[in-house]
Amino acid sequence: MLNTLKDIVRKSSIHVCLVNTGGCNGCDIEVVALLSPRYDLEQYGIYVHNNPREADVILVTGAVTDQWLENLRRIYTKAPEPKVVVAIGNCPLTGDVFNQEGGSVYAPVSDFIPVDAEISGCPPRPSEILEAILSVVPGAIALKGRQNK
Amino acid sequence: MILPIGPIHPGLKEPLRLKLKTQGEKVLSAEIDYGYVHRGIERIMQGQTWQKSIFLAERVCGICSYIHTQTFAETFEKIAGQQVPLRAQYLRVLTNELDRTQSHLLANSTYFKALEHETLFMYMLALREPVMDAIELLTGNRVNMGWNVVGGVRMDARDSHLQKIREIIVKLESEYDKYVEMFAHGPLLGLRSRDVGKLTYDEAIKARAVGPIGRASGLKHDLREEHHTYKDNLDFKVIYRKEGDNFARTMNRFDEIRVSLDIIKQVIDNIPPGDIRTKIDFGAGYDQWRNEAPRGEVTYMIETNGNLIKEISIRTPSIMNIDACAKYMLKDVATVADAVATYATSDPCIACTERVVILDEKEGEKSYQGIHNLNHKTNLINEK
Ligand code: SF4
Repeated sequence: MLNTLKDIVRKSSIHVCLVNTGGCNGCDIEVVALLSPRYDLEQYGIYVHNNPREADVILVTGAVTDQWLENLRRIYTKAPEPKVVVAIGNCPLTGDVFNQEGGSVYAPVSDFIPVDAEISGCPPRPSEILEAILSVVPGAIALKGRQNK
Repeated sequence: MILPIGPIHPGLKEPLRLKLKTQGEKVLSAEIDYGYVHRGIERIMQGQTWQKSIFLAERVCGICSYIHTQTFAETFEKIAGQQVPLRAQYLRVLTNELDRTQSHLLANSTYFKALEHETLFMYMLALREPVMDAIELLTGNRVNMGWNVVGGVRMDARDSHLQKIREIIVKLESEYDKYVEMFAHGPLLGLRSRDVGKLTYDEAIKARAVGPIGRASGLKHDLREEHHTYKDNLDFKVIYRKEGDNFARTMNRFDEIRVSLDIIKQVIDNIPPGDIRTKIDFGAGYDQWRNEAPRGEVTYMIETNGNLIKEISIRTPSIMNIDACAKYMLKDVATVADAVATYATSDPCIACTERVVILDEKEGEKSYQGIHNLNHKTNLINEK
């Protein structure tokens, strides 16, 4: 009973932690743009506060750089279960332009932590990010919540 | 007590570790750890053609992505000793000022967010969206525009688009004063901003602060004054203030937006017809070029061989400003909350700053590997 209630509540109250693991921060800016009144992320009950310890969703932007090799895993384990990881932009998917000879990135992110959803684009448009988060996240949280029971 | 903030923290947009030395609530001094987004851009660019590298230059920083490609292209043009057609120069200025406007609005919104003033934070973001629309209308993209090429710009702007942009700007201008008033005369905002995070003129010079941070401390320096397009064709004045506190920095940005909007209107009214691209005869050589980015001065030093890059070095403004923030502004700030707000006014852009070159003095060699190799290398050097 309590768990069902929790599932329902969590579906419409999603806390987001944004982790830039080494991109150009173009994707981060588009996530910030989501907060603006035009897109108004908060009307869907999604709240960006960048605190991994309370996060339901971790948004990863950026290819993985040296310093994040261990830290990314650490941040992932800090977030409470059930959690969903969404990779935003080409950086976490392929390393984008940085994944060439001489670059020091270790994309894709899915080598380090399990990724539930991916959005490509450099950067993807805010509306695309919003659409992806809305279509994937509530379902995934509910599903994972049930599996963990 | 040492209070670490970051790399992932509610108050920070980008990964960086801020170590505050505190006594009670009072911040005594601060230290900064970089290196979370070092990607090795300069190293990748070596030996590549400009056609490939310009996309990397754009991705040095996502907020001021435009000015990086412009500076990159202008360095190549300087090496070749050629200038792009006037229409292309105007279009570059237009995009640059649109980009500056959106960047300053974003910087101020971050400051209001750090002050927990949600209303102004939302207003700033709401003002920013039409500017992003204008950028999209002109270049086809919101953030990484791919608008510059060596020798000009990628495509021409239609007159109808320019007029639409003008409408957007005029509308923005008509609403703009209201929000500036809100900040300038808000009693609580004033209390939280005035005399907090002071950077004096001397300290600004010592820390080599640039851009709005330096200008808010009385450094009257704006590279646009020296840029040929601005100097010869456009009319603008440098905004600067004396106080050097959080209030001055935010106000300085607000006033600079006004100037930018004015320049945009001048450009649209006076843009000449003509070509937008010329052929550049690539030679071999070395040169450097500086431009005024939203955050200050950005320098590109490039050694070329035809259209190949032999060696490149990029200097971005944020590194000086963040240092000025850590060394001088955060010293003796009254509370930790103010420290986060002060950090936000220095408009840090971490993706810009992350550049590592390891100089081995004994062997006189340069290497560009990542941060983890830095520790490894220093150990090696120490062992020797
Ligand atoms: S995907 Fe593109 S815009 Fe996003 S962080 Fe990477 S380089 Fe920047």
